[in-house]
Amino acid sequence: MRKILAVIKREYLQIVKTKGFIIGTILGPVLMSLFLIVPILMSVVSVAEQENIGVIDASGKLFAELDKKMEQKLKDGSRRYLLEEYRVTGDISRLKEALNEKVLAKELSAYLFLPADISEGGEVEYVSEHVSDFDKTNNIRNALNSIIIGKRLKAEGLDPNKVGQLMSRINLSTKKVSKRGVEEDTGGTFIISYFLVLVLYMTLIFYGQAIMRGVIEEKSSRVVEIVLSSIRPFQLMAGKIIGIGAVGLTQYTIWGLFGIGFTTYGGALIADVFPATSSFNMPSIPAYIFIYFVIFFILGYFLFSTLFAAIGSMVNTEKEAQQFMTPVIMMLVIPLLLIIFIMRSPNSSISVILSMIPFFTPTLMLLRVCILLPPFIQVGGSIVLMALTTLLMIWLTAKIYRVGLLMYGKRPRIREIIKWMRYK
Amino acid sequence: MNALELDKVTKNFGDFCAVKDLSFNVLKGSVYGLLGPNGAGKTTTIRMVMNIIIPDKGTINFLGRKMDEEMKKRIGYLPEDRGLYPKMKIGELLLFFSELKGLKGAEARSRIDHWLGRFDLADWKLKKAEELSKGMQQKVQFIATVIHQPELIILDEPFAGLDPVNTKLLKDIMLEMKDKGVTIIFSTHRMEQVEMICDNICLINKGEKVLEGNLNRIKKEYGKNTIVLDYEGEAKYIKDFAEIENIDDYGRFMEVKLKKGGDPQDLLQYLTGKIRINKFEVKEPTLNAIFIAKVGEQNEKNSGGN
Ligand SMILES: Nc1ncnc2c1ncn2[C@@H]1O[C@H](COP(=O)(O)OP(=O)(O)O)[C@@H](O)[C@H]1O
Ligand SMILES: [Mg+2]
Repeated sequence: MRKILAVIKREYLQIVKTKGFIIGTILGPVLMSLFLIVPILMSVVSVAEQENIGVIDASGKLFAELDKKMEQKLKDGSRRYLLEEYRVTGDISRLKEALNEKVLAKELSAYLFLPADISEGGEVEYVSEHVSDFDKTNNIRNALNSIIIGKRLKAEGLDPNKVGQLMSRINLSTKKVSKRGVEEDTGGTFIISYFLVLVLYMTLIFYGQAIMRGVIEEKSSRVVEIVLSSIRPFQLMAGKIIGIGAVGLTQYTIWGLFGIGFTTYGGALIADVFPATSSFNMPSIPAYIFIYFVIFFILGYFLFSTLFAAIGSMVNTEKEAQQFMTPVIMMLVIPLLLIIFIMRSPNSSISVILSMIPFFTPTLMLLRVCILLPPFIQVGGSIVLMALTTLLMIWLTAKIYRVGLLMYGKRPRIREIIKWMRYK
Repeated sequence: MNALELDKVTKNFGDFCAVKDLSFNVLKGSVYGLLGPNGAGKTTTIRMVMNIIIPDKGTINFLGRKMDEEMKKRIGYLPEDRGLYPKMKIGELLLFFSELKGLKGAEARSRIDHWLGRFDLADWKLKKAEELSKGMQQKVQFIATVIHQPELIILDEPFAGLDPVNTKLLKDIMLEMKDKGVTIIFSTHRMEQVEMICDNICLINKGEKVLEGNLNRIKKEYGKNTIVLDYEGEAKYIKDFAEIENIDDYGRFMEVKLKKGGDPQDLLQYLTGKIRINKFEVKEPTLNAIFIAKVGEQNEKNSGGN
C-alpha cells in the first residue's frame, strides 16, 4: 500500500505543480463567472446616447403621434430620440438623397420614410449607416405598429384600448413537480443539466488523456521496467489512476467552493454594485444533484481511465494512440448527441435503456437525474451495472496493460491484444 | 546456499520459444554471468526471474522461496530497457524509487547523497533527468537499483553505453558489493567483462543452455590445447594441419584449438620450416573462443537436425 501511495503522490504532484494546472484551475472559474456576469452587466449598463432621427412623413399625419410615442428617456432624463420632420416639397428622391448626405455627415443617426399608403401596407424605410441596433429598430417598429393599428381599429369603429385588453396574451408559467413538491422552473434545469453534463464529459476526456499520456511517457522513456521491479503493473496502474483522479477532485473542490461562494454571495454582490440587476436570480444546484454528479464522475472516471491507460500501454506515441482512442471518445460523444432527445422525453423507454448502458450512464443518467429524479431502481441499477462493468474492464485492461507496457516497437493488432488477455 | 534457482523454465511467445527448459543455480555471494549472443533469451530469463513476465513452465526460487512483494525489497534490478522520468529532478526521482522500495524519507535522502557523491553526480541533484547524458542517466539508474541495499542485484547489460572510466567505476563498485556478501547476477554479450569479475557463468543460445559452471573449471575442462600463434607467412599451411578443430584468425595472429588429444608439439613440428614463428604459446582458451566455438557448434547441430 505504501508503494501505491508513492505512485499516487508522484502522479499528483507532477500535475498539480505544473503551470497549466494552476492557471486552468484558477482561470476556469474566473472565466466562467465572467461569462455569467458580463451579459448581465451589458444589458443593464447600456451606452445609449441621444440620437437625431429624420422623418419624411409622406402621409402628412403621423409625425406628431410618432414623436409622442418615441419618448424613451436616457439616464439623465433627456429624450433618447430627437425626431425632426422633413416636409415633402417636390421630388421625394431628391429629399432622400439630401438626408442620405446628412446621415453620412452624422448629423442624423438615421431617417425614416413613411409612405402615404402606410395604413394600407406601404413599406416603411429605415435608413442608417448601420442597421444592427435592434433596440432602436424595435422601438420604432413598435411605435409605428401601435399608431397604425390604432388608426385601423378606429376606422372600423373599435376602441384600441378595449381591443388591447381583449388581445392580451395568456402567460404560461412552467413548474416542476417532484417528490419535494412543486417548484417554479424557468429553464434553469435545462441550463444546469447541460452544464453539468458538459463538465463531466470534458473532465473525463481531459483526465483520461492525461493518464494515457503518462503511460506513454513511462513507456517511451523506458522508466517503466525500473518501476515494475518494485511494484506490480496493477499497483502502478491503480496508483496512477487514483493520483490523477485526486487531481480532478482537487480541481472540482476548488471550482465547487468558488461556485458555492458565487451563488451565495455573487448575486448580492452584483446587486450591490449595480442596483439595476437586483431582480437577477443566481442559478443554484440542488445538493442531491451534486452528490450524483460526484458519484457518476468517480465511476465514469474509473471506467474510462482504465481504457485510456490500456490504450497508452499498447502504443509508443500519442499519434499511434489516435486509432484506439476513437471508439472510446465515441462512447463519450454519443451521449452528448442524445442530450436533446433525452431532455424531450426523459422517461421514454428508449431514454431509460440508453441511460442504463454503462458507458453512457455517467452523462445520460446524470442528465435524467437533473431533469426528473428517476425511480431509485433505475438510478441504483445503473450505478451497480456501471460498477460491475468497471471492475470487468479493470480486470481486462490490467492484463493488456501488463503485457503492453513492455512491448516496444510495432503497434499491436486487435488479434494480438486479445492474445495478451489470455497470457498467464 | 543458493540465492537463486531456476528449474526447467520455459517461455513461449506465441509459436516462438524464447527460453527452453533452462535450469541453473546461483550461489549466494557469488558473481554470476549470464552470457549469450543477441536474442539468446537473457532478458526474457531475467524478466521471468523478476516476475515481470510469467514463465509457461518451470519454477524460480529465491533462497528457497517464491518471488513475492517481500522478496522484491531484497532484490535490486537494472533492466536492459531503462530510463528515467524526463521531467523529474534527479533528487526527487531517487526519492521516489526509494519510497517504492519502502525506504523512509530521511534515511533515503542520506543514502541518495552518498551515492550521488560516489558517482560524481552531486551537482546534478536538482537537474531534470532529461538534462543528463545517457551515461549519467545510467549511473542514476544504477543508484536506483542499489539504494535499498539489496542482497541480490540483477543487472541486464549493465555496462552497455558506459565509457571506459565509468565501466571501471561500476566494476569496482560491483566487486565491492560482492565483498560485502551481495549476490550479483548480470547479463552481457561482452566476454572480457565476464572474465574480469565472474565466478560462475551460464552460456545460453537460442533459449537453451549451452554451458554452465565455474569459470576456471570450464576453461580447464576445455583443455590446454589452445595455441596462440604470432607468425609471418601463409596461413593455409596451418589450416592444413589435420588435428585442428577450430581457428580464430586475426591476420598476423591466430588462436588455434586442437582436437581432443591433439598435441601442440606436433603442430609446432609440422609448422617448422613452413612459416616464420615469432611466438607459440599454449594456454587456456579465452571465454570468447569458447563462446564462439560453442555457439557455432550448437547452430550447426540445429541446422543439421532440420
Ligand atoms: N514480448 C515478446 N514477444 C515476442 N517475442 C519476444 C518478446 N520478448 C522477447 N522476444 C523474443 O525472444 C528472443 C529473446 O529475446 P531477449 O530475451 O531479449 O534476448 P537477449 O536479451 O538475450 O538479447 C528474441 O528473439 C526476441 O525477439
Ligand atoms: Mg537482452
